[in-house]
Amino acid sequence: MMSCLEAHKPSLCHSEPLTTEKVRAKLTVLKGVLTSCYGPFGRLKQLHNGMGGSVCTTSQSTVLLRNLSVTHPILKILTTAVQNHVSCFSDCGLFTAILCCNLIENVQKTELTAATTIKLNKHLLNFCISYLRSEICGCRIPVDFTSTQILLCLVRSILTSKPACMLTRKEVDHISALILRAFLHTIPENTGEPIILGKCIIVPLKGQRVTDSTVLPGVLIEMSVQLMRMLPARKSSALKVALFATSLSGDFSDPGEGSVVVSYGVSLENAVLDQLINIGRQLVSDRVDLVLCQKVIHPSLKQFLSNHHILAIDRVGVTLMEPLSKVTGAQPIGSLGPVSPSSYGNAKNWCSAKFGCKHFFHLIPNEATVCSLLLCNRNDTAWDELKLTIKDPWVLLGGGCTETHLAAYIRHMTHKEPGSILQDDGCTQAELQLIAEAFCSALESLAGSLEHDGGEILTDMKHGHFWSVQAGPPSAVNWPDLLSRCGCGVYSSQEELTWSFLRSTHHPFVPHTRLPQEALEITQQSAHSLTVDCLTAKLSGLKVAVETANLILDLAYVIEDKN
Amino acid sequence: MAVAVSVKTALQVAEVLEAIVSRCVGPEGRQVLCTKPTGEVLLSRDGGRLLQALHLDHPIARIIVACVSSHLKKTGDGAKTFIIFLCHLLRGLHTITEKEKDSLISENIQTFERRWKNCCQWKFISQALLTFQTQILDGIMDQYLSRHFLSVFSSSTKERTLCRSSLVLLLEAYFCGRVGRNNHKFISQLMCDYFFKCMTSENGMEVLELVDDCFVELNVSVIGLPVSDSKIIDGLVLHRDFSVYCPADGDIRVAVVREIIQPVFSTSRSEFVLNSEAQFQTSQIWIMERTKSIMKYLLSQNVKLLLSTVKQPDLVIYYARLSGISVVDCLSSEEVSLIQRIISLSPFVLPQASLQCEISDTALVKFCKPLILRSKRYAHLGLISTCTFVPHCISLCGPVQGLVEQHENALHGAFKMLRQLFKDFDLNYVKKANDQNDALRPCIYKNNRKSNQVPKIGNHSIHRSYQDTGIKNSDKLEKTQYLKAHSNLVVSDVELETYIPCLTLKMMPPDRVQTDEIWRCLPPENKRITDDYELLIESNSTRNSLTENPGIEISYENFQVTNIAGKGSMLPVKYKSLDTCISQSFCSSSIPAGCVLPVGGTFEILLHYYLLSYAERCQQLEEIVVSKLIASALLGIPKILYKPKKGSHSFPQIYLRALHTLQTSQPMISCQAGLESVTGKYHVLTSVLQCLTKILTIDLIMNIKRQPLKNCDQDSEDELQH
Repeated sequence: MMSCLEAHKPSLCHSEPLTTEKVRAKLTVLKGVLTSCYGPFGRLKQLHNGMGGSVCTTSQSTVLLRNLSVTHPILKILTTAVQNHVSCFSDCGLFTAILCCNLIENVQKTELTAATTIKLNKHLLNFCISYLRSEICGCRIPVDFTSTQILLCLVRSILTSKPACMLTRKEVDHISALILRAFLHTIPENTGEPIILGKCIIVPLKGQRVTDSTVLPGVLIEMSVQLMRMLPARKSSALKVALFATSLSGDFSDPGEGSVVVSYGVSLENAVLDQLINIGRQLVSDRVDLVLCQKVIHPSLKQFLSNHHILAIDRVGVTLMEPLSKVTGAQPIGSLGPVSPSSYGNAKNWCSAKFGCKHFFHLIPNEATVCSLLLCNRNDTAWDELKLTIKDPWVLLGGGCTETHLAAYIRHMTHKEPGSILQDDGCTQAELQLIAEAFCSALESLAGSLEHDGGEILTDMKHGHFWSVQAGPPSAVNWPDLLSRCGCGVYSSQEELTWSFLRSTHHPFVPHTRLPQEALEITQQSAHSLTVDCLTAKLSGLKVAVETANLILDLAYVIEDKN
Repeated sequence: MAVAVSVKTALQVAEVLEAIVSRCVGPEGRQVLCTKPTGEVLLSRDGGRLLQALHLDHPIARIIVACVSSHLKKTGDGAKTFIIFLCHLLRGLHTITEKEKDSLISENIQTFERRWKNCCQWKFISQALLTFQTQILDGIMDQYLSRHFLSVFSSSTKERTLCRSSLVLLLEAYFCGRVGRNNHKFISQLMCDYFFKCMTSENGMEVLELVDDCFVELNVSVIGLPVSDSKIIDGLVLHRDFSVYCPADGDIRVAVVREIIQPVFSTSRSEFVLNSEAQFQTSQIWIMERTKSIMKYLLSQNVKLLLSTVKQPDLVIYYARLSGISVVDCLSSEEVSLIQRIISLSPFVLPQASLQCEISDTALVKFCKPLILRSKRYAHLGLISTCTFVPHCISLCGPVQGLVEQHENALHGAFKMLRQLFKDFDLNYVKKANDQNDALRPCIYKNNRKSNQVPKIGNHSIHRSYQDTGIKNSDKLEKTQYLKAHSNLVVSDVELETYIPCLTLKMMPPDRVQTDEIWRCLPPENKRITDDYELLIESNSTRNSLTENPGIEISYENFQVTNIAGKGSMLPVKYKSLDTCISQSFCSSSIPAGCVLPVGGTFEILLHYYLLSYAERCQQLEEIVVSKLIASALLGIPKILYKPKKGSHSFPQIYLRALHTLQTSQPMISCQAGLESVTGKYHVLTSVLQCLTKILTIDLIMNIKRQPLKNCDQDSEDELQH
């Protein structure tokens, strides 16, 4: 209370926060950290807390931004925007953050008023989005669900962009295949509209080889060794399953707001136990083989059930209830009254399994869309990506090619048809040129940050794709020999292309829109080396980056409450 | 320690605030980022919020902030304009005193005395300001400014119909000052769509009230998606997930409960005595059976959805699932009252004994399904509304919480603004008219209100007065002239119609009551006279057309509206219209609902012009001084608005053009699209004048080093909470 009465300290008010050197420096530092993490060759960051706790090594934006303590409000806005985006799409976090930083930095150099830059940025964003969504877009591939290749590429691209996973090439192949298989498991066979995906439970396992990861149909329930030993011998026939959501421990339910007086000599425990045993009798007479309980089963009831050769497993937990109900078709039972026969479910079989040092009870279903993915390194990202791709079955070319292509296309359009971007808003063409240049170079330097080993970035003058070359190339070389494939892997260097350095100024050229059919066919054959990104996540990342940059550029004041 | 208050210090404070606020005002305004001590980050362009976030220390600043927040409580808009206007007023005062000081310096007075003298002078000025605000301002608003008013209602029918295009302009202008530049168009479009989707009848007042009251329940914030993904969702989205969801189609009925369905052992202040184990078991079984049968019973009534304000126990959830009834529990009481308001459904009370009777407290819903917005699940209901509000929700997306909050606040503010705009606003000004007519007015007022008794009495007087009116009308053309002026304007004829119904609600001045009493004593005449009346009216209307008085004619057409206003009246319709037309031609001092002016300082420039011309005609010195002071301060706002503009759109050019059109009485043309509410502007003006008088009447500020008392007024309690 005393603290409430203490007088407020007046707040601090800074005007034009972006113009101060301090803020710019902070932005540069943040950008530097993020850029160095970007891409498959990104550098890892080791985060450790001086106060203790575990040390973590990562290059993922999620982990990085969660652990960095950002103090300046502007940086806070930026990082929270990225974090929120990642929590929605679990991808393109670094892309969003770096693009946003690049945009702020580049736009500031132009010294136009905030009003103009924001307007033009918005126009450019709309232009990009409509291009990427349009038919003529040259960096988009439809997903062919009849073959798994593109889907596999998508998973692989994501896995390879997480260098902290430390996976070898073989391991990446294995994991991507597993993820894809698990994903295909969850698609129901008889698909009505709308498709309701099943569930994949990811069971993390530490200390095992990556190649030991597997996909198992059904549900795995972790158990202690002692319990495992108590399990009776396996039965070959189908199992009848009862699934309890209510506690079978015999605790007293809510007595209401008034008071309950118990006369001397009356034992409520006995009364409840009687009820439990009654349920047990019914289960026995209904020939139930397996009893699963979300909460605790009273030891006496357990004993009773095991005497009658019924397998009882308790403390399953609320998260497994829905998959279990789905796997077995059993209705969770919520009362201690007589059990209705319709609430029983069934399963094909069960077995005990041991993975690493953990013991599991494995429930094998007859036919269900639930599976368990045993993973050594958790990777939910790839999972979400696949789900998004089903909703919007397009992928974008990855490996920096989309960015460079987009930049080339914008450059070309601002020179040729500025009217198509400029909707009479009182902005001049010269202003558009300036901002478009800032926007494009933000995209290009984003692509450029994929290169970490001092190599050079080139772009071809036909498709506007991204090519990287090892450091220190001789001045006059035969480019086709030095380069092999572009960033995404669609084009090879043997296709009569001309190149120029990305960082050098070059004339705007017309990038080929519309991926040619033969390129796609090559794609199908050599899909193994394609790098692709999820369209939905990337589009949203692009929007969030530009919107956040606009927001930050629009700030006239920062008022800091110092209380 | 005591600090002497002078205009100079007040000006210094106000100038600092103005510097901050002026960068956020208008379409070119920019955002401000506020951090809270908790680490939250908030984006805002809202003046009130900025002032609060600054946690100002200076006593004068605190007075200003308190005034602004009390103004915002009333209107929800105009905090930035408030500060700018106040600053300009203080600046004007300061220059006046500087001048006077020069003349005073020659006289040899002691400083202390001089300060007291100054204070007296301030008091004098503040009183002049107050007189101006209460006596002159309303008159000017009504007599001169009102001829420029446009309306958001279109006039094709007798009923007020909201004109979509003008609403778009109004909202765009509103969000221009509220939302970041890259989103204001999108948000205003969203709001406009939302409003029209929710509205069934032509008049949106009921919808506005409902949306304003229940705004929090009607919008869902989704963080992490770009702003452009925000959308309008058909139906009502509850901020809770289903506890049980059972897909159902066809005839879905919904029931609302406010208590736990499962019976308990003992209710409060009662005792349950357990005598045996068997008794315990049977009572438990009874509880189960009872819960089960209640659920069965609900299902038999076709109830497939149960909404509950309390958490229902697992047993209830279990039996609901078995019966195929979906349950949403732990709803906030606001959400439930919103649902009750939409479908006018009262909570279902559990029958004590038998479950045979039918329950009436259920309603049909079109659908109920889970809705997933960014991995969070909500219950989505298709309610069938029984009021004029068609349920729709807004899902507001944004990359950060602070931005979504800003948009939420702006949308809520816009609904508040519209709600105020759709109301008539009475001005504190009575038009001067002939004594006799004045005496007549209360009687007419009575006529409308008390239908059966008074009207017959009133006949006589109206009869007399009517002749007066006829004559008066001819020589008072000047007074009614402004009605004609409307036809000059683009959105013209609307206002005339909207004026009238409100006028009948004019309050009766107390001093007239006596006259009214006298008339009441007159012997009541019978219906015959009413017939006479119709004749009279007809004759009168011919005279009207002869004299060509537009005011009378137009109001005459409007009798239907008046009829609606005076519900339950048995009077002939024409009779009514007569009343209105008379009362209209003599007192019309209110700002009618829906009055707007083009943005870009039109209000300020107009008022500036009319104040100056008033000052020219005025005799009293202080009135001249005050009018001129306010007139020049008013220009401060358009000056800031046009600051970034160049060439023919710069402020001096705009100002000169406006003056020219006014002098030649041409219609005003605004170079900016967009409209703003007149009442809102008027409120800012009066609030600022009140604030200024408050500041001027203080001479010393005493610093008290004591903890604030507990039972202080409301404001300090508010401050404690922050």
